[in-house]
Amino acid sequence: MFTRRISILVGHFGSGKSEIAVNYSMRLARDGLPVSLIDLDVIKPYFRSRSARDQLAAAGVELVAPTGDSFYADLPIMLPRVRGLCRQHDRRVVMDVGGDDAGARVIGSLDDVLDPDEIEVAAVLNFNRPFTADPDQAVAMIRGIEGNARMRVTGVIANTHLMQFTKPETVRSGYENACECARRLSVKVLAVCVPSVLEGEFSGDEFESKLFPISRVIRTTFAADTDSAGGDSGVPEQPPAPGFAPAVEGRYGVRKVGPLFVPAAMPDEEG
Amino acid sequence: MARKLMKGCEAIGEAAIKANCKLFFGYPITPQNEIPEYMSRRLPQVGGTFVQAESEVAASNMLYGAAGAGERVFTSSSSPGISLMQEAVSYMAGSELPVVIVNIMRAGPGLGGILPSQADYFQSTKGGGHGDYRLLVLAPSSVQEAVDLMQDAFDLADHYRNPVMVIADGLIGQMMEPVEFKEDRQPCRSLPSKDWATTGWKGEGRPRAIVNSLFLDPNLLERHNEKLTAKYAEMARNEVRVAEYFTDEDYDLLVVAYGSVARVCLSAIRQLRAEGKRVALVRPISLFPFPTEVIERAANKAGRVLVVELSTGQMLEDVRMAVGKDFPVAFHGRTGGNLVTPDEAREKILAQLAAREASR
Repeated sequence: MFTRRISILVGHFGSGKSEIAVNYSMRLARDGLPVSLIDLDVIKPYFRSRSARDQLAAAGVELVAPTGDSFYADLPIMLPRVRGLCRQHDRRVVMDVGGDDAGARVIGSLDDVLDPDEIEVAAVLNFNRPFTADPDQAVAMIRGIEGNARMRVTGVIANTHLMQFTKPETVRSGYENACECARRLSVKVLAVCVPSVLEGEFSGDEFESKLFPISRVIRTTFAADTDSAGGDSGVPEQPPAPGFAPAVEGRYGVRKVGPLFVPAAMPDEEG
Repeated sequence: MARKLMKGCEAIGEAAIKANCKLFFGYPITPQNEIPEYMSRRLPQVGGTFVQAESEVAASNMLYGAAGAGERVFTSSSSPGISLMQEAVSYMAGSELPVVIVNIMRAGPGLGGILPSQADYFQSTKGGGHGDYRLLVLAPSSVQEAVDLMQDAFDLADHYRNPVMVIADGLIGQMMEPVEFKEDRQPCRSLPSKDWATTGWKGEGRPRAIVNSLFLDPNLLERHNEKLTAKYAEMARNEVRVAEYFTDEDYDLLVVAYGSVARVCLSAIRQLRAEGKRVALVRPISLFPFPTEVIERAANKAGRVLVVELSTGQMLEDVRMAVGKDFPVAFHGRTGGNLVTPDEAREKILAQLAAREASR
């Protein structure tokens, strides 16, 4: 999906930057390219690309993230290796930047070492997220990011999904919105991300942009809550009238719940 | 309304707005910063007010003032910040103020770490502040449940004139899941008028409203305590929330866990049941009131209980009280921010099943 040496992923937090960064750098490594993934997320403490440390190592991707105690911190740490990689012309580099304009500030400090001809700056867009629910909001978010990053976004990535509730239509409508953003920003849609289980739902030429199948790597160890929406949350019956002695069941409003989650069979993300 | 993909923290913020809460006072601390972040963006859009206070002490006393004036108000923090708020929490309980407090728990004690934990169970359910008081404590295990409980929390606070605490381990706050906000939601409890609130006295119509927890006359204070105690007893009768899994079937072991840990255990239990192992789960949703009788009944059916928590054993004490001191209760806990994995839960469950077999 990227053609230049350095791919910089920016966007709203929770838009999918880390998952795309991990999937993309693992794919580059599988193609035999030397690749470094730089985790520049100084915004949130969990679910960062560094959480995929073991999978990245197994795939042969160099993970650039703080080590020791600082691995777990959400502090603005810029490792010397980051500036080194900007000048090291024999490696592909994927930068996973923290969310929103606040997270983008960290790459603004690299503008003296980044060669504009070597970089692509992609804004990841999920229109099911708050604050990027439509093209107006998404473009405003991108403008804020560009200001703090001191660089222009050169493409967008359509990554609209709803986790286990993602339908082909979810992807299609997200692509339409991404195209609208790209038009307003005068850039291209670089790729359309689809959950790998839905890849077969799309023909290769359905979109003008490439399909990029995503297999989630950064995730919880338990399974998705497939039955969560619209259910009651165990509200007990209205309190009985004074003096009325209800049966135990009624008194305690015992919530009978069938199986809520599908079984988990996924790697542990501890670390 | 269509489903949205939200982090637990964001969803908690939006749920408060949907519950018509227009005031948030708080102070940043990881891993709940997305709540104040979200409120600071959203509240101005709905005509509300967001204040980043100079500390958690200030924020919690701002809550006291706003609730005393009859407004719906909430704050959020994470473990060390919640500790700082405990004086005001006790004052709000003493003054019977309806507020909602969210604790996205991180590992302690002290500064601890910023990874998930459930080690504030004692603080939330047994009173982190001074005096005889109880909070209604609710613990979600999914982002959707966090939304639902958060909306109910405001109704419960108003209904009982009592602080309600929603506690979630850091994972629930930070993970993203699809959520839905019900359009036609009705309050889960009757909402009495707030005629006690300090809304301005015009010299007639009603007595002066005084919001206060100071009672120098010992007899008045004792009567006040008795009134509060009666209220807590009413909560205990009416507000127990619990989810049961497979307790209608036969089982040899009962697992008790809450929050995200319950989902880890359930993943393991579903797999084990598919292999013919007979295990059930009780997941307390309200931690005060605790589902004592449900656990006693479900435990007696199994003859053995395994409690799993992200702590060194806090809810464990309430489970032990529910089943009695001679009942076999095993415990598995992780701390420091480490999570229980489904494999680990599986291993502990299998060990307890084997122990039960051996004791026959």
